Amino acid sequence: MVMEYALLQAVFLPLLLSPVAYILGRKAGPGPAMWFTFAVLLYATVLVVTAALEGETVEEHYPWTELFGEFGLLLDGLASPFAIIIYVLSTILVLYSKPYMIHKFKEQFAEERMAEGVVQEPTAAVRDNNRAAIVQEASGHNNNADSPAMTSYINAKSGLYFALYLVFAMGMLGTVLATNLIEFYIFFEVMLIPGFFLVALWGDGPRRKIGLMFLFWTHAGAVVLLLGFLMIGLTIGSFDFADLKEAELPTEIALASAVAITIGLGVKLAVFIFHIWLPYVHGSAPTPISALLSPAMIGIGAYGIFRLVVEFLPATFSEIAIWLHVWGLVTMIYGGAMALMQDDIKRLLAYSSISQMGYLLFGIGSASVLGLAGAEMMYITHGLGKGILFMMAGIIIVRVGTRSISKLGGLAGRMPITAVCAVIGALTIMGVPPTSGFMGEWIMFYGALETAVEEDSTLRMITFGLGLVATALTMSYMLWMLKRIFFGKTPEHLTKVKEGSWYMTAPMMVLAGFTIVLGIYPDIFLESIVPYMGGVLGVE
Amino acid sequence: MAAESAILPMFDPIPAGAWLVWAIPFAAALIMPAIGRLSHRVTGFAAVGFALMSALSAFSLLPMALAGGEVHEQIMWIEAIGLKAGVLADPLSVIMANVVAWISFLIMIYSTGYMKGDRNVVRFWFWMLFFIGSMQLIVLSDNLLQVFFGWEGVGLASYALISFWYQDKKKDHVGQSNRRVLGLMDYYAPTHAGMKAFIMTKVGDVMMIAGMLLIFLFAGTFGFRELVGDTAWAVEMSAQGLLVPAFVLLFGGAIGKSAQFPLNEWLLEAMTGPTAVSALIHAATMVKAGVFLVARIGPIVFALGAAGILADQFFEIVAWVGAITALLLATQGMTNPEIKKVLAYSTGSQIGYMMMALGVAGLSHQYVDGYTAGFFHLISHAMFKASLFMAAGSLLHVVGSRFMTDMGGLRKHMKKTYMFMWAAGLGLMGAPFITTGFWSKDAIFAAVYESGTEWALPLYAIAVLTAVITAFYTTRMIGMVFFGPKSKHVQKMESEGHPPHEASVSMWVPYGILAALTIGIGLIGLSAEEGLHHLFEVYLDESFGIHYGVSYGTAGEDGSSILPEFLQGLNPVALGSSLAAFAVGIGLGYIFYIGRLVDPVRFVNSNLFFYAIHKVILNRWYLNAIIYWCFVVAPLWLARGVFRYFERTAIDYGMNDGLQKAAGWGARVVQGTQTGVSQSYLFVFGAGLLFVVLILLM
Repeated sequence: MVMEYALLQAVFLPLLLSPVAYILGRKAGPGPAMWFTFAVLLYATVLVVTAALEGETVEEHYPWTELFGEFGLLLDGLASPFAIIIYVLSTILVLYSKPYMIHKFKEQFAEERMAEGVVQEPTAAVRDNNRAAIVQEASGHNNNADSPAMTSYINAKSGLYFALYLVFAMGMLGTVLATNLIEFYIFFEVMLIPGFFLVALWGDGPRRKIGLMFLFWTHAGAVVLLLGFLMIGLTIGSFDFADLKEAELPTEIALASAVAITIGLGVKLAVFIFHIWLPYVHGSAPTPISALLSPAMIGIGAYGIFRLVVEFLPATFSEIAIWLHVWGLVTMIYGGAMALMQDDIKRLLAYSSISQMGYLLFGIGSASVLGLAGAEMMYITHGLGKGILFMMAGIIIVRVGTRSISKLGGLAGRMPITAVCAVIGALTIMGVPPTSGFMGEWIMFYGALETAVEEDSTLRMITFGLGLVATALTMSYMLWMLKRIFFGKTPEHLTKVKEGSWYMTAPMMVLAGFTIVLGIYPDIFLESIVPYMGGVLGVE
Repeated sequence: MAAESAILPMFDPIPAGAWLVWAIPFAAALIMPAIGRLSHRVTGFAAVGFALMSALSAFSLLPMALAGGEVHEQIMWIEAIGLKAGVLADPLSVIMANVVAWISFLIMIYSTGYMKGDRNVVRFWFWMLFFIGSMQLIVLSDNLLQVFFGWEGVGLASYALISFWYQDKKKDHVGQSNRRVLGLMDYYAPTHAGMKAFIMTKVGDVMMIAGMLLIFLFAGTFGFRELVGDTAWAVEMSAQGLLVPAFVLLFGGAIGKSAQFPLNEWLLEAMTGPTAVSALIHAATMVKAGVFLVARIGPIVFALGAAGILADQFFEIVAWVGAITALLLATQGMTNPEIKKVLAYSTGSQIGYMMMALGVAGLSHQYVDGYTAGFFHLISHAMFKASLFMAAGSLLHVVGSRFMTDMGGLRKHMKKTYMFMWAAGLGLMGAPFITTGFWSKDAIFAAVYESGTEWALPLYAIAVLTAVITAFYTTRMIGMVFFGPKSKHVQKMESEGHPPHEASVSMWVPYGILAALTIGIGLIGLSAEEGLHHLFEVYLDESFGIHYGVSYGTAGEDGSSILPEFLQGLNPVALGSSLAAFAVGIGLGYIFYIGRLVDPVRFVNSNLFFYAIHKVILNRWYLNAIIYWCFVVAPLWLARGVFRYFERTAIDYGMNDGLQKAAGWGARVVQGTQTGVSQSYLFVFGAGLLFVVLILLM
């Protein structure tokens, strides 16, 4: 039995309670704020998961303005996997956030003190640009006690962090549950704003610039998206999904709006050419946020294409499908090739995400039931795999203090849990059974092949073949990354590196276990995805 | 389906035995870390025990299978697509499962000695068990998708085990650090080797999955049994011209996994792993998987002949890939100085024989002849190659060097190893009448010779030539290791007070058993082969409807035998060339390496022709270097170019900085009238736009 207002609670509780998290952080410190945030999101996750497990579509409608139509929340075969992954990742990453962010806050505290001139003499650590040592000095870690100034600094910052975090998670969930174009757009923007602040406040490198870049590009995409929405909405006179489904749009308008929507979402999805912002943002964002941005957020672009183009504009979709297919393929290969060239772990993973989003688009472009189902499986599996890998990057940043792959090596012996989880994560991305990656991949490629044979299309045959070859590329950059980080000789300066704390490793292990369970028993999600896709394409 | 058997009457199959064969190793692998927490010593015993349990459950299936029975059980797996998981224990898979299980079991015993004192022994046992489990999953699965799970599982396990010594210490490398081929180093670290193996086999896997999906598209099933039942799918596929491509693609997987030409190069670097792993890869798991896959799908393809669908090209490709590999790798075995690499080349070459037999089978009028020959060779090869590898491991262990030039004159120090290596080596050479290798190789010769295909003659010539070379390089290996003067390295060991000694009991017993079996089964080789032949005859008839003597292709005539009574059933030509090949090979080997009548180095350098050939062969026919240039160096160079001149310039500077500059310029214009921070204008811009839109809507 689904609780009443379950979805409404799941979406709005995090938003409403975010000030509490802020105050809690200020008054009581990062620990209580973390557990509070965790509890809120866990509750919301349970709501979403129980609703999804009912097996039927859950729908809630609330009166809204006359102009835009109803405010609804819909959890169906398409939305539930997205919703579950978004909230599961968000919940788990709360735990991971604490040690990582405290590390980050300390680092920034040290930087700020230095800028204010509190610490006058640049110590040896500063001269060598040894961040870990700076943190230690600034925090007085040598005598194992944080200064009061720093404690209050951390408290204030962590309150703000967790408050923004809640809003960010809520924005993502809202987007995938929305039943109205305007509602969709609002949530789409809501997840952008906390994202911007999180990057601009606690990113690495030129964080304000990169934050703005993030805001600018995704916002520009959103504007194009809105343009598409307006075209549709003003033509049929309603923004409700329900009306959209019934309405018959004139062909040109349908095409124009579909293109606008695809491009708008393409920016979010970071497909080739529009991927400009992604390596910067994923590279710079605080790692828990990267782990949420990359697997959960950018894939929402794919959700949008599923919902808005595939479901609501089927005729247009079948026309542009082949373009999406090819575009996806180009993105796959391009992202993979660029990932080979990276030295910064997080940038490598960012390019890998671009490549993976190419897979999603490739699957969508296949325009067959299993191709689409596979694409959605790819979202899930990428969420799990990339989540693990970003967490791995974060642990290395915290424990080693560098993110440059060329300075790493042989860490498997020093941090075995991280290494094992990272390998599982990499296998997930590579699509090696028994991880969920394989389930997504073969189903998706099967869909691509099916359409190619049915349409007797040489182009599609070639894209199918190249797509499969691209998996070997994915494998190459992933294995090479693992080799350079975890295997080989251990450099001198890494011999004393320690394993990450349980807050950081336990979430990884949960995801690693989940990806294997899902790889062996994919019905958990396929049961709801396949019938939905069949319904959308009119195939039983 | 419990069936009575005259040979082994006391066993009934364990319930769900076919599931347990692979489930036990997987489960055992999972609990290994927990056992490792208790004690490192116990892990070894536990791992061996679990391997034994798996082997026993495989053994319990044997009586049923030898009586021609079969177990086929299914459960629902992916309901959303309507796929079932299942086990199929028919004579083919049960015999294979037993070969895998018992040889792995012996290798596990050997490992307890070989890995003694290694700190990471838990990881080792985990992956060994995982390896065995994956292989048994391939063997006993009833559908291609499930096979693929095992398929990638062995790939993964090989990756982990080849790069087991991931610290990349100098002693764990393979190749010579000072050698370059076409400008590329011929010297590899374990982690590199593992990666190479995984990626290269992945190329095969990509083909395999394409083939699998094609078949699934038309047949709507991955199941082996379902594919045989109704052949409408094949009719449709062959009408579209996709039947042969699909099966050839499937065979691509086997090419990768079994290290066949042109994906053979990973097998050599795979020697960076612990020797127990090499033995497992080469004898029981991994490379045999490809042969098994061809044995699984071959009859399906051949049986389509009954529906009038000929897929001769498929069998031709299998046969030729096998033949080329057999010769290509055998030649390289003659020149390499590293003992494990010689054995690795030998494995690839012998697998080529099996492929050749399985391919030729489909082209001949007696499918079962080639089929039995290939499979029989698989069994005999598994025994002698596992034995040889383990013996080589002992040598490495004792001498501390992988180069045969660092050994020499060891026969007095390691008598047992010396003896067993001769026994197993004779099996590899195909010593007449007393070794399994002889009978199985002879069967292959006969199958090729009698097949009556248009390719019979060239294939036969290659097979015989390869046999000569095989006998030669095996003698060379034994000669270099055990005969001649002691090398400087061994002399140094002696002067330091560590003379070479025999390996420990847990190490020599396993390879002793296998060496003894090579000879023991060899003595009854002909009847063993006939038993297998009969079993497969019935099996192919009942399961695939391939009747004995029915041909679908172009076939020749049977000849009558001129041989004496006890050799009836053998082909005289095959027998003759087999004997000749053995004699020539071992004779040449004796001249150069045992009798040391001619110095091989001086011989090779004596004229330009020999020198050139030697160099080409030693440089691996340049195949490895070419693959690296085309698929590693060139793509990386290209990617770097694109990254530098497109991603960094056009995208980053062009779009990002360009737009930022434009925005910044715009902001400065506005700044003329207002004061403020330029960044906030972007904010205002966004909010304003939203506002305007909302106004418009009102």
